Amino acid sequence: MLQKKICMLGTFAVGKTSLVRRFVESIYSDEYHTTIGVKIDKKVIRLNETDMTLMLWDIYGRDDFQPLRMDYLRGMSGYLLVADGTRRNTVDEALSIAQDIEKEFAKIPFVFLLNKADLKDEWEVGADVEKQIEERGWTVMRSSAKTGEAVEAAFDKLGRKMLA
Amino acid sequence: MAEHPMRKNGSEDSSGTQGNNSQTFEDLRNLLLGREKKEIAGLRDRIENPIARAADVSAVVAEAIELRRERGGREDLNKALTPSVEEALRESVRKDPSVLAGALFPVMGPAIRKSIAESIRSMLESFNQALEHSFSIGGIRWRIESMRTGKPFAEIVFLHSLLYRVEQVFLIHRATGLLLGHCVAPRVATQDPALVSGMLSAIQSYVRDSFNAPKEEGLDSLKVGELEVWVEDGPRAILAAVIRGHAAASYRAALKKTIEEIHRDFGSALEQFDGDSASLAPADQRLLLCLESHSLPKEATSRTHYLPILALVVLVLIGVWTAIAVRNQMMWNRFVDKLQSQPGIVVTSFEREHGRYLVRGLRDPLASDPALLLKDAHIDSGTVRFQLTPFYALDDEIVLRRALAMLQPPAGVALSVREGALAAVGQATSDWARRLRDRAAVVPGVDSVDTSKLEEIDLSEVGRLETALSSIIFTFPVGSAEVESGEESKFGKTAEQAKLLFAKSALLNLTPIIELVGHTDNSGTELANLPLSRKRAEYVMQGLAEKGVERRYLRPRGAGTSEPVQGHDAKGGDRLNRSVTFRIISSK
Repeated sequence: MLQKKICMLGTFAVGKTSLVRRFVESIYSDEYHTTIGVKIDKKVIRLNETDMTLMLWDIYGRDDFQPLRMDYLRGMSGYLLVADGTRRNTVDEALSIAQDIEKEFAKIPFVFLLNKADLKDEWEVGADVEKQIEERGWTVMRSSAKTGEAVEAAFDKLGRKMLA
Repeated sequence: MAEHPMRKNGSEDSSGTQGNNSQTFEDLRNLLLGREKKEIAGLRDRIENPIARAADVSAVVAEAIELRRERGGREDLNKALTPSVEEALRESVRKDPSVLAGALFPVMGPAIRKSIAESIRSMLESFNQALEHSFSIGGIRWRIESMRTGKPFAEIVFLHSLLYRVEQVFLIHRATGLLLGHCVAPRVATQDPALVSGMLSAIQSYVRDSFNAPKEEGLDSLKVGELEVWVEDGPRAILAAVIRGHAAASYRAALKKTIEEIHRDFGSALEQFDGDSASLAPADQRLLLCLESHSLPKEATSRTHYLPILALVVLVLIGVWTAIAVRNQMMWNRFVDKLQSQPGIVVTSFEREHGRYLVRGLRDPLASDPALLLKDAHIDSGTVRFQLTPFYALDDEIVLRRALAMLQPPAGVALSVREGALAAVGQATSDWARRLRDRAAVVPGVDSVDTSKLEEIDLSEVGRLETALSSIIFTFPVGSAEVESGEESKFGKTAEQAKLLFAKSALLNLTPIIELVGHTDNSGTELANLPLSRKRAEYVMQGLAEKGVERRYLRPRGAGTSEPVQGHDAKGGDRLNRSVTFRIISSK
C-alpha cells in the first residue's frame, strides 16, 4: 500500500478543517489544532486501480501571531493550499505560504483551492486573479465544504501529481 | 624564424642527396607539424610525469566523485573508498591522536553523555523496583527465594517485576511520520495505527520544537495511567512500543537493538522510502519479536488471586474481633448486673479508663468479694479496678451475717433477720441466751431481738449423763479380752446413755469424746498386760458400736496396771481391775 504525507495549508479560518471533515477517517478531535497545532486524518483514494493512503496533516492556520511550524511539514509529498474565495487577502497569504515552502523544500506538488465556493454573493476573487494564478502553472479549483464540491477531485488531482 | 636557415642549408648541400632527403623530410615535418609535435611531447610529458598527472587529477577529483554519486554508483564508491578512509583514520590516530580527538570532540561529548544518562536511568529504574518491593510481603518472599536459590536479590526482583505486556509496536518513518510496520498483541483493541503513528511523530516534532531540543533528541517515553509508550529513535525510523504495566529496564536495550538492526538490514529501503512500505515488510518479524518475548501475562493474573484471600482474611479478622467485643460486653453487663444485685454492695458508677473498667461504690466488709464474682464471670481481673468504700449495709442478709459473726450461736440455734428484727430459734444454754439478749442490740442493723422460740437447756443434764457413764464398768475373766458372762447385757443401756449425751451436747455446741480405758490385775508381766488392756477397751468399743454409737466419738486406750480401779492388794480388787471404764473428755 502506498502512503503519502500531505499537508493542508492556508491562513486562519479559510475552512481547511471543514473542507476535509466529511471526507476523511479521523480519531482525533479538532482540539488538537489549538493545543499542538496539528491534527492528523487519513484519506484513502484510488488511482489507477491501486489504493493510495494519504496521511493528512491538517496544520493550524498561519496568522500574525503564529508562524507556520516547518517541522510539521518535513517529509510531505504534496499539499493542499487553501484560500477563502470570499476574502481576497487570503489568496495573497496562500501565495506567500507557497513561496515559503518552495524556499524551504524545493518543488512539491500541490493543488490550490479557492474555498467557500457556495457563497457566490460574497465572492471577492475575480476571474483575472484566478487566471494569473493559473498562468503560474498552478492547478486551481473552486471548492466548498458545504456542498462537497471539488473535494474528492482535489485529492485525486493531488494524488496524480504526486505519482507523476 | 627558424625555418628559414634550414631551407638555405638544404639547397647548398647537394653532395649527399640521401642525407639531404631525410633532412628535408624532417624539416618538412617540423615545418608542417612542429606545433603539434611540441604539444604531443607536452601531453606525453603530462601523462608520463606523475607530478604533472597528479596536478591534472587534483583539478577534477571532487567533481568526479560528485558525478559518480549522482549517477547512482554510491555503493561502489563507498566500497572503494572505505578501506582507504579507514586506513587513513588509523594512520592519523597513530601519528597524532589529538587531531582526530579534536575533530570528534563535539560529537563524542553528547554521545557519551547520552549513553551514561541512559545507563544511570536503567540502573535507577531497577533500583526503584528493588526498593519498592523490599518491604512488601512479596519482597520478603523474594528475599527467602534469593536465600534459597543463592541468586542475588536484585536478580529475583528483576525476574518477578516483569509484570508487563507490550501491546503494540510501531515502526515509523522518521521524516514523514508514515507507518512502516505495526504489530499488536492478541485481544488488544487499537486505533488506526497509521493515524497513531502520524500523531506520535507530530508530538515528537511538537516537543522538539516547543522546548528547543536538538534535532536528534526526541521523546523517550510517554506515560498515561498504566500505559507507557517507549520510543526509541533511529536516524531514519522510530520504534515505539506501547506497554501496559511496568517494563524492565532491559526492554529498553531490546528496543535499541531492534531499531539498530532494522537500520542495518533495511538501511537503503529506509533511505529511499517514498511511501511504499512493501520492501520493509520483513521488518515486521522483528517487531513481532519485540511484542512476544517480553510479555508475562500469566504472572500478572496469578498475582491478583491474593486480593480475595486478603479480603477474606480481613473480613474474618473483623468478624472475630466483633464477636469477641460483643461477648466481652455481654459478660461485663452480666457481671455489673450481678454486682449491683449483691447485698452489701452499692455501685455508684463505672466507666472505662485507659482500656480498663473502673467501678466506684460502697461495700460492706461482709458482702461477697467482687474479685470472686469477677472470676465466676470469667473476666480478667487485670481489666477491672474497684474503688469501694467500706460501710455498714442494712440488708437483712448482711445483718444476719454480721449477727452470726458477732454472736456465734451454738449448733442448736438458728438465727434469722427480717427488717431489722433478729429471731433466735432452737435450744441453747442459759449462758448463751443471756449473751444473745445482752449483745444483739449492739449488732449494727439489728433493731429488736425475738427469743420466744429459743429453748434454754440446763447444762446439768449433760453433767448427769457424764457422771452416769463414768460410773459404768465392764469386768473381764483372768487373762481374757472378752467380758464376763452377764456383762453383755449392759451394752444396750450404755449405748443409749452415750447417744443421749452426744445429742444433748450437740445442742450446746459441745462434742464430748468418750475414752474407753482398759485395765488388768497385777498378775503376769506388764509386757503382756498392756496389750491385753488395750484389747479389752477395743472389745467394749466394738460392743457399743454394734449398738449404734458412732466410733468417731469413742477412743480406746490400754492402761495396763498403771491406773487400777481399786488397789491391787484390796479385797476383790483383782476382779474390778480386770475391767474397762469410761472417761468423758469434753471438747468445744
